[in-house]
Amino acid sequence: MDITLKAIIEGVIFVFGEEGISLLQLSEALDLGEDYIRNILDEMVKEYQCEDRGFELVSIQDRYKFISKAAVHDYVQRIITLTKSRQLSQSALETLAIIAYKQPITRMEIEEIRGVGCEMMLKKLQAQDLIREAGRSESAGRPILYEITEEFLDLFKLMSLNELPNLPNYQEESSEHQLFE
Amino acid sequence: MQKFTVTLEQFTGPLDLMLHLIKEKKLDLFDLAMDVLIEQYIQYLNAVDDKLEIASEYLYELAALLEYKSKKCLPVDPKPLEVNDYEEDPKDALVRRLIEYQQFKDISQLLNERFLERQKQLDKPIERQIIQLADEENIRFTQGNQSDLLKAMQKCLERFNYTHPMQVKITKTELSIDDRSDQLIAMIMNLVEPFSFDDMIQDVQDRGVLIVTFLAILELNRRNLLSFAFMDQEVHFRRGEAYGYNT
Repeated sequence: MDITLKAIIEGVIFVFGEEGISLLQLSEALDLGEDYIRNILDEMVKEYQCEDRGFELVSIQDRYKFISKAAVHDYVQRIITLTKSRQLSQSALETLAIIAYKQPITRMEIEEIRGVGCEMMLKKLQAQDLIREAGRSESAGRPILYEITEEFLDLFKLMSLNELPNLPNYQEESSEHQLFE
Repeated sequence: MQKFTVTLEQFTGPLDLMLHLIKEKKLDLFDLAMDVLIEQYIQYLNAVDDKLEIASEYLYELAALLEYKSKKCLPVDPKPLEVNDYEEDPKDALVRRLIEYQQFKDISQLLNERFLERQKQLDKPIERQIIQLADEENIRFTQGNQSDLLKAMQKCLERFNYTHPMQVKITKTELSIDDRSDQLIAMIMNLVEPFSFDDMIQDVQDRGVLIVTFLAILELNRRNLLSFAFMDQEVHFRRGEAYGYNT
């Protein structure tokens, strides 16, 4: 029985579960160009957003996988008790946000922004595979640089760092008025 | 009157506390009334129940604020400043830091919303079969370190939780690492290489034995009876070089 290319891609992504499959791997397996497959995948991402579907197709740095839709969660919970979900403290979120926007960044630079010591926090985040070391800074003491991981992107459902919302811009509202006064 | 206890726990740091005070006193961040902020900050730290609980970071910022205040009390040197002597006004520096901090505070709020939404979306673990069926030639072995091993172990624990979700049993199993090592030596004789963590915990029913198994694996690795390599964060085991000689 013949199936379409789209169906093949769907099946392959399904099989690889939470690990997902990269665009490169798909391209090699199907012997087709990455751009060509990317177009199909883009189309599929849109199709799964349809309300008739219980899961969706997501990509994290060109790695594709299926995840269930948030609305399904409550119904799954009626059948089994899901283990208590992960928690991220306000401090952890702030530290992650700073690294995501400023990477690669040293511990000192993070501490300067947050006004508190971050050594333990960085160790914790590293242990959770949300950040990793990214070489060393050329500045004095050659401090370690940190950057975020794919695990971080997945945790916040970001295709890439480009998807991060812009930093809010607080302009001095009165400044313009002052200029003209 | 109800006594209002002050804690610092709700703040992530001195900047967070200052932003809170600025908001509470409706101060203009861009035209910051430093005297009010300093006053409030000192009052707040004084009101904290247990003085020892105040983290050094709060005291550090307090010292900076007091330095600013005392400088303001001194007469200004009429001598014009040399270009090289120019220093950013500490007030401007503080405002800049507060604004930057507020940005990340707001962003972390947004991130948290995304995080909570993503938490409700579930991933399906990959079939073990797929990993096992993968042609051995296709397996790219890479060097791993201890933290890779730990990560793999965590994944394995996660999977263990999936397959043993509702069971609650409290038993104490006395099984030494040596005993478990011997069991493993016997077990891996029959396993097809490369085998996985999951293969070695097939018979495990509780977390205690799981931990002993993990320790036994490390022990066997040390004795060269078991070697391991990594592929896509998955550990693949083989019988070690010493296996067969002294067993």
